[in-house]
Amino acid sequence: MRFLSALTPRWFCGALLLLTAAVSHARADVVGRDGKIHVTYWEKWVSFEGVAMQTVIDAFNASQDRIVVDYFPVSQIDHKTLIATAGGDPPDVAGLWVQNIATFADAEALWPLDEFIQSDGMTTEAWLARYYPIFAKICSYRGHVYAGISTPAVIAFNWNRTLFREAGLDPDRPPRNLAELEEFSRKLTKRNPKTGALTQVGFLPQEPGWWPWIFADWFGGELFDGHAITCGTDPHVLAMMKWVAGVSKTYGADDLQTFASGFSGQLLSAQSSFMNGKVAMVFAGVWMDNYIHQYKPGLDYAAGPWPEAAPGITDFAMAESDVLTIPRGAKNPHAAWEFIKYANTANLHAQSREQLQGIELTCFLQDKTSPLREWSPYFTQHHPHPFIKVFRALSASPHAVCVPQMGIWQEYHREFTAAFEDVRLLHKTPEQALQYCQARMSASWSQYLLSLERHHQISPQVPAPTP
Amino acid sequence: MPLRSPAARFIIYSLLVGASVLFVIPFVWLLATSVKPLEQTMTIPPTWIPRAYFTELAGRRVEVTLDFKQTLSGAVVKLASGEHAGETAFFSDAQLATAQPAPTTLYRVQPGWWHVTEKVDRRSGEQHPAWAFVPDSAVHTRIVFRWENYPDALSRLDGSGDDRAGIMSRHHVSFWRFLGNSLIICVFGVCGTVISNAIVAYGFARVRWRGRDAFFAITLATMMVPFPVLMVPLYSVFKTLGWIGTLLPLWAPSFFGSAFNIFLMRQFFIGIPEELSEAARIDGCSEWRIFWRIILPLSKPVLATVALFHFLYAWNDFMGPLLYLTRKETFPLSLALQSFQSQVGGVEWHHLMAASAVTTLPVILLFFFAQKTFIRGIATTGSKS
Amino acid sequence: MSPRERSNVFTGLGFTSLWIVGLSVFTAYPVFASLYYSFCDYSILKSAAWCGLDNYKELFQDDLFWKSLSNTLFFTVLSVPLGTVVALALAMLLNCEVRGKPIFRVLFYLPSIVPMVASSMLWLWIFNGEYGLLNAGLNPILHLFGKSAPAWLTDPTWAKPALILMSLWGTGNAMVIYLAGLQNVPKELYEAAEIDGARGWRRFWHVTLPMLSPVVYFNVLMGMIAALQIFTQAFIISDAANGATGTFDGAPGRSLLFYTIYLFTTAFHDLRMGYASAMAYVLFIIIAALSWLATYLSRNRMDY
Repeated sequence: MRFLSALTPRWFCGALLLLTAAVSHARADVVGRDGKIHVTYWEKWVSFEGVAMQTVIDAFNASQDRIVVDYFPVSQIDHKTLIATAGGDPPDVAGLWVQNIATFADAEALWPLDEFIQSDGMTTEAWLARYYPIFAKICSYRGHVYAGISTPAVIAFNWNRTLFREAGLDPDRPPRNLAELEEFSRKLTKRNPKTGALTQVGFLPQEPGWWPWIFADWFGGELFDGHAITCGTDPHVLAMMKWVAGVSKTYGADDLQTFASGFSGQLLSAQSSFMNGKVAMVFAGVWMDNYIHQYKPGLDYAAGPWPEAAPGITDFAMAESDVLTIPRGAKNPHAAWEFIKYANTANLHAQSREQLQGIELTCFLQDKTSPLREWSPYFTQHHPHPFIKVFRALSASPHAVCVPQMGIWQEYHREFTAAFEDVRLLHKTPEQALQYCQARMSASWSQYLLSLERHHQISPQVPAPTP
Repeated sequence: MPLRSPAARFIIYSLLVGASVLFVIPFVWLLATSVKPLEQTMTIPPTWIPRAYFTELAGRRVEVTLDFKQTLSGAVVKLASGEHAGETAFFSDAQLATAQPAPTTLYRVQPGWWHVTEKVDRRSGEQHPAWAFVPDSAVHTRIVFRWENYPDALSRLDGSGDDRAGIMSRHHVSFWRFLGNSLIICVFGVCGTVISNAIVAYGFARVRWRGRDAFFAITLATMMVPFPVLMVPLYSVFKTLGWIGTLLPLWAPSFFGSAFNIFLMRQFFIGIPEELSEAARIDGCSEWRIFWRIILPLSKPVLATVALFHFLYAWNDFMGPLLYLTRKETFPLSLALQSFQSQVGGVEWHHLMAASAVTTLPVILLFFFAQKTFIRGIATTGSKS
Repeated sequence: MSPRERSNVFTGLGFTSLWIVGLSVFTAYPVFASLYYSFCDYSILKSAAWCGLDNYKELFQDDLFWKSLSNTLFFTVLSVPLGTVVALALAMLLNCEVRGKPIFRVLFYLPSIVPMVASSMLWLWIFNGEYGLLNAGLNPILHLFGKSAPAWLTDPTWAKPALILMSLWGTGNAMVIYLAGLQNVPKELYEAAEIDGARGWRRFWHVTLPMLSPVVYFNVLMGMIAALQIFTQAFIISDAANGATGTFDGAPGRSLLFYTIYLFTTAFHDLRMGYASAMAYVLFIIIAALSWLATYLSRNRMDY
């Protein structure tokens, strides 16, 4: 403690200087000393998707000398982006999921891209028209464009051709409707002759388990009609839940639990039910090919359209996407837009791998479809994915469906999944589970709308007439 | 309390020893796990002393892992036909009897032999390391502490352990950066705490002025306010100042005093005889000089206590960094350690324990150097209510 | 005021000026702002919109509010008394004439200064259902009775008890305080008690405990206030032991959803800061009530 007694004004000045130094170096510099604008891009990927995006970033950085994009892999990116935006220190570009758009936009955490599109001389309609309709829908919310696509995903029906052959089915002919699905499934189900335990199942609604809500749309219903919660009021949703309960009763809920315990929720790992031949038919996305290459390269499988569940709709499809957004308060929004624009356009005349640019380059390297209507010749003809044509057709479908765009989707998804589980495990009847979900979500939704009204983001709601 | 009978002594000592063993075992386990190779962290029963196993494989002496003991007798054979032709596998005697066509036997295996696999560096990319069955007697063992776990763990604190593609190598945050951030928060925080609280406590203890006691009562009352009440508006204040994302919210407020430390220091200052101040005042010293030249030098014990407590608190602090920091390069060790473990994939316990040990070490060292201050400080705070 | 008094006031204010700033900006403003926000619909990205008592009404109908409160109370009601008993017991053991007292004291005290993050990682590992040290010791014994050890941090029934056990490891701090208190008990009192024929338990009850009671009350109160705000270890352990999904929902089965965690996720993940402020004030009231109760009770009991 001797320094205290020896303290002189000199020490004080020194300490003060040190303090100032600490304060001024406290924040990372975003506008670079190299004369270029540094765009901070937070994204969730570390492995092959990240490598693909880094290639596109490198191409962008090389194509001009005003802007440099810095890629940062970040875990829990939705939480972190929201907190950073709330704290006034957001990245310039944030790679979110489509289900974040409505929530973040309502929270006023996103910068609408309309002004940037218009300053480039385009109307938002023209910008969105370049995409397939479903992806145009994904990018917009409440009449504004909030995002660009980083990488799209379309979900198709996949089946194991080897198992089809073994069961005496034509390996090139998937089931065309629900009845055939159930019939094929019966033929593809095997049990251990001694114990009666399931060793192979044709089709399980619980796989992959990430989007149980899509089955409601598949059956012709909807969980949200744009104004109100409809899970409990839509008859198609009820029909779907009854079907799910039926599957569980056919095979036996306990048998299924035991059977699924080894692979539940792990479609994309070495324990995958589909890749290991435990489940013969499953809905999976264009990304499935990547994982099959990694874990089971020899798997003889095929992808095709969804069987018909709602009468008359033979081209049902589901689409998801990873999106690029500009958080509100970003320091370099114009530079951020330049990058998003680059990553959402393509060289539509590309004849070789070197000529691939922007979104086509990303999707080519990640083995996915392009969300744009037009594809370059090279992308169409030399795409590594064996079933790219199937996925392209599904992308273009007028009956493609994506996540309902509502601010409390996270909660709704949780509640609906819980209801789905209760029905699947035969803990509740379909009516009970849906009524419970409907009641809780209606209450939440009214609260949410009330909050938006208070902040003048929507006009005061006329309460829906009670039936 | 004196211990009269031998029976009493025995009971007390055994209770004490038993309790201290219980308290120490977690530490020992922490250190033991931190020097094991990964496969030995997950054994039943648990391994306490890490070992390395060696045997001869294909004519070379290599380090191996002991995978399991074979219970059946049989042989290692080379498959002649079928999907896996040319590969080696183990066939039990029952399988050998029925295998068509008969594969070539390479060597016989007895029950009780170990299945061993050559230990290869995961990063060398070797997909099919060599394996064999060997008798117990062919396995040599040595106790080996894997000290390399420590630098490995620390270099992966930013989560780059999972990054096979090397994407994050452009943004590698070194352990020293995390340590530096922790030290900035702690050292500046300690400076601020000691300086500001001493000055304020002097005002409450050694200067008589109207309203002082009322003000002090209010100060005491603020100690009861739980942090969650302050959390949201504080966040808003820091956002307005533009401090979110920097380390400032974690140490700058300490320059403006804190109720608990004011209380502690005031207690101490009150105990210093008033005559010292009076004499100085008569000599014409200003209050500041009295504070600086007389009271402060006499206050080393309480200053040390306050400095120590704040250092501990700042080193330990998790919620503060969690609230205010989002960029990895600004994380202190406490936050880096937490995000280190939340990587996808199986937890690498040996690395996690090594990193945890490193975060704990400075505190333990500090304790051993400043034991008296610790104990005296705690006893004082606990007794004065 | 005389000039002397006025000069004293200026001096006093001068010395306490730093604290005046600190108190206003970092304590007083937040306390009042938080109260205001609790009556508002506030997410920091949008300005606060007044909504009266809506937040409080919603709070009392919120299952998760009650769940988090009950979790927190369960933890507090068990960990504080158990911790006190353990700390007192250790202090009493150390208070005997034993050799090697400093060594024992260090061993008991050290765990309480280990950083909570590191401690959480360590206990996460010790409580591991398959390979953890605790089950490695428990399972052989339990198998004799045909049972097996629980999975601790992935079992909703056993997750909180696991955290309570973990908290007992850190009672060294309180032990040191009690030891100091015990050593302050005048020897004359013990001698007087012995003359009266009081030994062992009676001596503890009638001499030791009353002399210690102010220290015990203070520490129990502080311990209770801290336990009611448990955050770090639950935040880390709940997520790490249950799939590291980043949802911080109090997994397993919401058994580790403590009050401050629910508050934090409501404020910073859902950006419902008005609602979170209402929760904070409810906590404030609970703590104030408990503090008043403890002080009232202790005033009646302290007798010396």
